[in-house]
Amino acid sequence: MRQPGMYSRMLSGGGISGRTGPHLLPLARIKKIMKKSSDDVKMISGEAPIVFSKACELFIEEITRRSWMMTMQGKRRTLHKEDVASAVMATDVFDFLATLVSDSSGNSQGTPPAAALEL
Amino acid sequence: MGDHYNNTGGDDGGIKDQDRFLPIANVGRIMKQGLPKNAKISKEAKETMQECASEFISFVTGEASEKCRKERRKTVNGDDICWALGTLGFDDYAEPLKRYLHRYRELEGDRATQEKISNTEEKDEELPSHRNNQFRNQAETSRPF
Repeated sequence: MRQPGMYSRMLSGGGISGRTGPHLLPLARIKKIMKKSSDDVKMISGEAPIVFSKACELFIEEITRRSWMMTMQGKRRTLHKEDVASAVMATDVFDFLATLVSDSSGNSQGTPPAAALEL
Repeated sequence: MGDHYNNTGGDDGGIKDQDRFLPIANVGRIMKQGLPKNAKISKEAKETMQECASEFISFVTGEASEKCRKERRKTVNGDDICWALGTLGFDDYAEPLKRYLHRYRELEGDRATQEKISNTEEKDEELPSHRNNQFRNQAETSRPF
């Protein structure tokens, strides 16, 4: 059985011959997103998307971990977007995402702010 | 709402999403990495994560590019990203990323040297170290050998 993600990893690899590990995220796409973030952004060095590919990995892993805790609290095995929303609301550093997740999820799960996760 | 003449996908934002977000397959894979084997992730959760990741990139890039603007630099580099992460509260990421960046720069330095060597016509003739010595001619007099 083909391992999921094997093909997309090959496609998204490149840049530095995988010597700092294959990149899990496409560098060109990261660069596009960076450019769109503001008009101030003029030039981007080649290493910036590479730093971001790792940073995004850490970021996604952290939110996922925290979201999964919400899933487990609800005694479920499927991570839903409401779990992501709850994790965001419970973590100060993710404040910048608060509007984003409340827009997409509609109503929040009602996780009390006191349940802030300190990992 | 009519005039999406250039929209060959079904969805309104279908084509734009490709530019705005990281691929859902990649995002989904990273999410799976931190979870137990039998964990499931809803498609909507992955989509939400795509949006969050793009927002993260924009947020950090905005801070980094503001720093560059103030310092009258045109190019946002890896150090600026690391700095912005630290400033915005992602201290846990800043340190490992600085090391990652440092390692990348070292490897790129090696690779650039290797490429110079293999791109010359006489690559079969001498050992690579001889080529390197050519760049150090001026320093040779100060070397013991």
